[in-house]
Amino acid sequence: MNISGSDNGDSMKRIAVLIPVILGVLIILFILDLLAGSVNIPIEAFFKMLTGGEVKETWLNIFWDWRLPKAITAVFAGGALALAGLLMQTFFRNPLADPYILGISSGASLGVALVMLSAGAMGAGAIFATFGFIGDLSISVAAIIGSFAVLALILAISSKIQSNITILILGIMVSYISSALVTILLQFSDESSMHSYTAWTFGSFSGVTWGQIPIMTCLLLFGFILSICSVKSLNALLLGEQYAESLGMNYRRTRTIIITNTALMAGVVTAFCGPIGFLGIAVPHLCRALFVTADHRILVPACIIVGGIISLCTDIISHLPGTDIVLPLNAITALFGAPVVIWVIVRGTKFGRGVTT
Amino acid sequence: MNQSPILVCKNLTIGYNSQKSAAKEVSKNLNLTLKRGELVCLIGPNGSGKSTLIRTITGIQPAIDGEVWLCNKRIEEHSSDEKAKTLSVVLTNPVSAGYLTAYDIVALGRFPYTNWAGRLSESDNLIVTSALMSVGAGNLTRRFMHEMSDGERQKVMIARALAQEPEMMVLDEPTAFLDLPHKIETMRILRNVAQKTGKSILLSTHDLNLAIRCADQLWIIDRNGKMISGVPEDLILSGIFGSAFEIEGVSFDSIRGEFTIPVQKKGTFTFTGTESVERIWTLCALERIGFTPADGDESDITLTLEKNGDKPAWLLTHAGGENRCESICKLVESISYLYPAGDDLN
Repeated sequence: MNISGSDNGDSMKRIAVLIPVILGVLIILFILDLLAGSVNIPIEAFFKMLTGGEVKETWLNIFWDWRLPKAITAVFAGGALALAGLLMQTFFRNPLADPYILGISSGASLGVALVMLSAGAMGAGAIFATFGFIGDLSISVAAIIGSFAVLALILAISSKIQSNITILILGIMVSYISSALVTILLQFSDESSMHSYTAWTFGSFSGVTWGQIPIMTCLLLFGFILSICSVKSLNALLLGEQYAESLGMNYRRTRTIIITNTALMAGVVTAFCGPIGFLGIAVPHLCRALFVTADHRILVPACIIVGGIISLCTDIISHLPGTDIVLPLNAITALFGAPVVIWVIVRGTKFGRGVTT
Repeated sequence: MNQSPILVCKNLTIGYNSQKSAAKEVSKNLNLTLKRGELVCLIGPNGSGKSTLIRTITGIQPAIDGEVWLCNKRIEEHSSDEKAKTLSVVLTNPVSAGYLTAYDIVALGRFPYTNWAGRLSESDNLIVTSALMSVGAGNLTRRFMHEMSDGERQKVMIARALAQEPEMMVLDEPTAFLDLPHKIETMRILRNVAQKTGKSILLSTHDLNLAIRCADQLWIIDRNGKMISGVPEDLILSGIFGSAFEIEGVSFDSIRGEFTIPVQKKGTFTFTGTESVERIWTLCALERIGFTPADGDESDITLTLEKNGDKPAWLLTHAGGENRCESICKLVESISYLYPAGDDLN
């Protein structure tokens, strides 16, 4: 029996092989996402563009102004949602937790609805069409304000309560209140603003401009780094709150960091891409199954990479390469995500034991 | 080795502070001392405040009054890191985290000693391995927690508490979910740990028999929250056991050190036969069906234990004649036939 030293020889080997493999898949899909779409760019043209060769003007425009920001957004947003989902699943020790469970996206939706629908109600719906960039930005700002308002509320109340199940219920209640307010706003808004709001809820990686990319990527990178710095506490939380505290973890501080980080990542993604569902719940389960571990030192980087992979996949599919049709992103993520969630539930007897609180 | 006690409670009052009403006191004026290398069992009926005491001693819950001193320092003055290196806990509910091996769980015990990423050094790995070995869980190392039985999980959790290298381990009903052999095994492991490593162990339990046989000291909380502490044998001799635990219909047998179920008395017996295992269990069976040894010469039934080679046989003599029985089952049947249920002799 060889149990000396770091024991997990097999799983270490598995990780050493898998990480380069998923990184490779990520790069291939990234390139594919740049090339495929309503106009397919041939691979030779892609290499010509990289080496500064002559290619069609339209391809160049599509590539630089349209596909590249979209692909970058997809990678970062996918990674952030997966990571936020992982944080919530570990924090609540609940396999069905997702990035939005705290009510973050509902807050964002409310902010967006307030801007879009109230503007519409005041007869200023055209503002978004006329000032495209400012319009987009004001939506992002509204979403960020909305999500951070919810975050502030959750943090303020959670400082007074001990049980994280109470926080869970609190988040769900906040979601209900926000969607109730959105429904009321929808009732009184005109058709065009109602339509643009609905389109926003479909989610899209295409709306992010070069001007917004640095802000978004910096904020999300900060979230990634914060997650990497939390791996030790996240691992301790797997034993439950009481054990984690007995190990010397500062529970309240950890809780604040995890909640804030989740709100940051989920809020930013919602602000720039809309409320994208299912990625956040499905990817952590995929990663656990793929790497056969619950160790966050592996799961955190794995979620960032696999999250990027899945969101690139969904983006490619939603643009139905070769056609002009663009399907709602959320429909595609759900079509991908739901089978994964079903698989987790069906497998429940085994995994379910691992997630009882 | 430092011989000052690891844990001292001075005039401790435990209970719950409430914002709205007056504090609810569960037990007060507790003066308790836990020496190094000692195994103390905390026992008491449900709702007597065992968990409250454990939560107060481990600093999870503040005391209403009085002080808890851990390693010559008040519990609330320890930094969380310092406390984690002095005190480790095992809780009642077994942890069932998915996709974590026994090794991963025990390695988390090194939390207070590792860097920001929780990276295990060579010596950390050695400590984890030896903790698993010392609880007899060496074969579980690579197994996943969700594939283990409750007994195996509890062993891993004890190994985790050991890997934390504390000076004192506190276990809240560690044997609650286990069957009898695993209860005994768990207690044996803890006994071993206390004796070999000099760590102090405090555990709460409902298993009086085990506690009496394993503990260096018993802390008993009775129904009224009154605390009595002492060496188990002293407590039995002073009759405190009975008064703390007896409820209607259950009485404490101070000779056997266990609670007995009173049965309706049916008659008396005399028994001839040498000291043997068969004799002991025959007496148990007779007691169960309501027969007591006759004081004088007269007895309702007479039993003779015969042994032909390996096979025991019981010769039952009674007013109506003689029966030869090949098993205790047959013996009990014969006696029950002579003295049917509900037919009270007295």
